[in-house]
Amino acid sequence: MGKINDILSPFTAWKHLVNEPLTVKKPLEREGADRYRGFHKNEIDKCIGCGTCEDICQNAAIDLVPVEGIETKDGDSGLRPKIDYGRCCWCALCVDICTTNSLSMSNEFKWIDEDADNFLFIPGADDKPWNNSEKGWKKPDYNLYDPNRVDMQELHPEDRDKSFIEIVQGYSKEQALKEADRCVECGICTATCPAHMGIPEYIRAIRNDDLEEGLRILYDTNPLPEICGRICTHKCETVCSVGHTGDPLSIRWLKRYIADQNPSERFKEILGTDTIEQNGKKIAIIGSGPSGLSAAHYLALMGYSCTIFEKLPLAGGMMRYGIPEYRLPYDQIDKDINYILSLGVEIKYNVTIGKDNTLDQLHKDFDAVFTGTGLHLGRSTRIPGTEHKDVHFATDLLREISLGNEIPVAEKVVVIGGGNVAMDITRSMARLQNQKFGKVNVIATSLESEDIMPADREEIVEAREENAQIIPGWGPQSIEIKNDKITGLHVIKCLSVFDEEGRFNPKFDENIKDFFEAEMVIESIGQGMDLSYLTDEIKENLKMDNRGRIIVDNNFQSSLEWLFVGGDIIQGPDVIHGIANGHKAAIGIDNYINSKK
Amino acid sequence: MKEIIDRLQELYPIGDFKQQNKSLALITVDKDKAVDFITRLKNEEGFLHLSIITAVDWLEKNKFQLSYLINNPTTKNSFVVRVMIDRENAEMFSIHHLWEQAATYQRELKEMFGIDFPGSPGVDKPFILEGWHEIPPYRRDFDTKNYSEETYFPREGRTKNVPAEYMKQKLYPDE
Repeated sequence: MGKINDILSPFTAWKHLVNEPLTVKKPLEREGADRYRGFHKNEIDKCIGCGTCEDICQNAAIDLVPVEGIETKDGDSGLRPKIDYGRCCWCALCVDICTTNSLSMSNEFKWIDEDADNFLFIPGADDKPWNNSEKGWKKPDYNLYDPNRVDMQELHPEDRDKSFIEIVQGYSKEQALKEADRCVECGICTATCPAHMGIPEYIRAIRNDDLEEGLRILYDTNPLPEICGRICTHKCETVCSVGHTGDPLSIRWLKRYIADQNPSERFKEILGTDTIEQNGKKIAIIGSGPSGLSAAHYLALMGYSCTIFEKLPLAGGMMRYGIPEYRLPYDQIDKDINYILSLGVEIKYNVTIGKDNTLDQLHKDFDAVFTGTGLHLGRSTRIPGTEHKDVHFATDLLREISLGNEIPVAEKVVVIGGGNVAMDITRSMARLQNQKFGKVNVIATSLESEDIMPADREEIVEAREENAQIIPGWGPQSIEIKNDKITGLHVIKCLSVFDEEGRFNPKFDENIKDFFEAEMVIESIGQGMDLSYLTDEIKENLKMDNRGRIIVDNNFQSSLEWLFVGGDIIQGPDVIHGIANGHKAAIGIDNYINSKK
Repeated sequence: MKEIIDRLQELYPIGDFKQQNKSLALITVDKDKAVDFITRLKNEEGFLHLSIITAVDWLEKNKFQLSYLINNPTTKNSFVVRVMIDRENAEMFSIHHLWEQAATYQRELKEMFGIDFPGSPGVDKPFILEGWHEIPPYRRDFDTKNYSEETYFPREGRTKNVPAEYMKQKLYPDE
C-alpha cells in the first residue's frame, strides 16, 4: 500500500494546477522596524573605500569596486563597496565597523526583481528608492575598535624646558599592543607615505608580537627607523581611516616601538645581512643625510661599495644638525647609521666636494655619483635691519648647537617663521634662555595664521608649554635698531598668504601694526641649496629648471647619466621623502650600471 | 518580579537578577537546579509558556550560556533563565517533559552548538543541516567565511580589489 502511495502521491499535486496561486507577487505593505537591518545605504562622498566592510564580512558578500566619478587619491582608494545580496545575511557588522560612518542600512526589506543579478549593487552610487530613507540601522554607540589612541608618555614641560633630553618616552609593550589593536589594516596610508612603507604589515607584526618580522618590514622601505620613528612628518596619520571618526593610529610611535625593541647588535642577524656578495662596483655619495644614507643602504645590499663624502664631522645631515636633540637624540641617529656602516658603507668626514675634492674627480673614480646635499643655507626676509650682526639664520644656529659650540643667546628673542625649523630654534632658544637667564622670552611669529601654520600641531602646543610665545598671522616689516643694538621687530597684520590660485602672494593690512621687543632676531623662513660644487662645465650639460633646480627623472637620474640627485634639493623638504628618493635612486643606479655592461 | 525571586531565593541559588524592563527580568541559576527551578516557575508561579530556548557561545570563558525565555500569560511577565554550562562535552538536562516543543529547540541546539540533551526525543536527528561534517556552525570557532569560500562557487560578475594594491596601481605603478 505504502509503495503505491509513494508512486501516486507526486501526481496528487496536479489537482492544484488550475487553482489561484497561494504566493503573492508583492508582499503586504508592512514597514520594517525603525532599527531594521534592510538594504544598505552609503554616503558615497564620505566613504573612502578603505574596505574594512569587505574585510569584516563573514559571508564575503562585499567587493570593493571602482565607481565612475570617484577619483583615487591620497586618503581615498576610489573604490566603493558593492554588495551581493545572495550572500548578505544582514548582520550589519559592515555598518558597525565602518571607519567613516558612511555605511548604514535602511529599514527597507522588500524588493522584487526577476533578475537575480540586480541584487548586486553599489549602495550610494546606484539609485535606489531607500537611499534617502531615515530609518534603519546606523553605527551603534559601541565600537568594534577603540577610537581613542593610547596616550604617549612625555616629560612634563617643567622637566624638559631646561635641557635637551628626549621628551617622548616611547610605548611600552602593553601600550603598543593596545594601539596596534586599533588598526583595521586597510592600507590607505601606504600610498600617502612617500616611501610607501608596509604600515599595516608592521603594525600586524606588533600585534603578533613578532618584532623581528616588524624590523624586516621596516627595512624593506626605510633604513632609518629609529629616526623616522621619532621625527617623521607622519603624513600617513593624516589619511588614517580610523582617524575619520576617532584618533588616527600612532603610526610613527609604533614604528619607533619596533626599532627601539630590537637591539642593534642583532640587526644584521635579523635582517639577514651578515654576508653580502660584492659586485666590485663603486658608488660615490655626497652628503650623509637621509637620501644619501638611504641610497648607500640599498646600494650596499645590492653589493656596491659605497663611499659617502660628508662635509661635517658627523653623519646625519639635517637629522643631526637641524633637528634638536630633545626630539631626536644623537644615540638614536647613531644606531641607524652604525647599522648602515656595518654593511660596509664608508663615510669620509670633513670632506667638502668643490674644495677638498671635486665632482669631476668622483666621476672619474667611481661608477656613479649620488648627491643629496640638502638645503643648508638660510633664506632671508631681506627686510631693513637683517644685515645686523644679531640677526641669524635658524639653520646656522641649530647646526652650531649640534656641533657643541656656544651660540649667542639674548634675553629677548624673536623668531620669524612658522615651520618646524622655526619651532626647533624657538624651543632650543627657550631652553638656552632658561639655562642662562632662568626665564624664557622668545616669540615666534609667522605670516600664516595658526590654522595654516606649516609646523606640526604638537610642535606648536609643546613650544607653548615651554613658555615660548607663538604669535601667528603677522608680516615682518623692519628690525628696529637703536645705538647699533636691535630693539625689536615691527610687524603688520597678514590677512592671507596665498592667492586664489594657491600661489604665495601675501596680503597685509598696514593699519594693524605691532612691535615685538627683541635683542636678537632669527630668520627661519625656508632654506636654500648650495650647489657651488657643480663646476661650470657640469652646469652647462646639466638640465635645470628656471628656479635653478636640477631636473631628474623617476629614478632620480639627472641629464648627466652618471649623476643621480635626491633629497631636499629635489623633493620635500623632509626626511621620509629623502629616504624614498635615495631608495629609488639606488635602484636607478643599479639599472644604469647594468645597462652599461 | 523581584518578589518572586525574593521568595524563591531561599530554595534556589539564584544569581545576577536584572530587571531588563517592567515585564522582563534576567536571572542566572546553577545547572543542577535549573530544571527544578523552571518546573517551579511553571507549576507554582504561572509561567506556563516556553517562548524559546537559545544559547550563547562564551568561547573565551569556555562556557555555553543557555537562555530559557518563559512567560506568564496572565501577568504578561517573562523571565530569561540563564544557565552556564561547560563548553567541553556540553550537556544539559532536557525539559521536554515540561513542554513538548522544547524537544525541537533542544534538537536545534544540538545541531547548531553541539549541546546534548540526553533523553530529548529526536535530539540526534538532523534539524536543518544536511550532511554536516564540520564543527557545529554556531560555535564561534567555526570559520564561516572559510566554509563559504570552500563550499560555494563564486558568483559571476564579482571582482576583487584590495584598496592598497589598487592605489599603488593607480597612483605609483612604477615604484
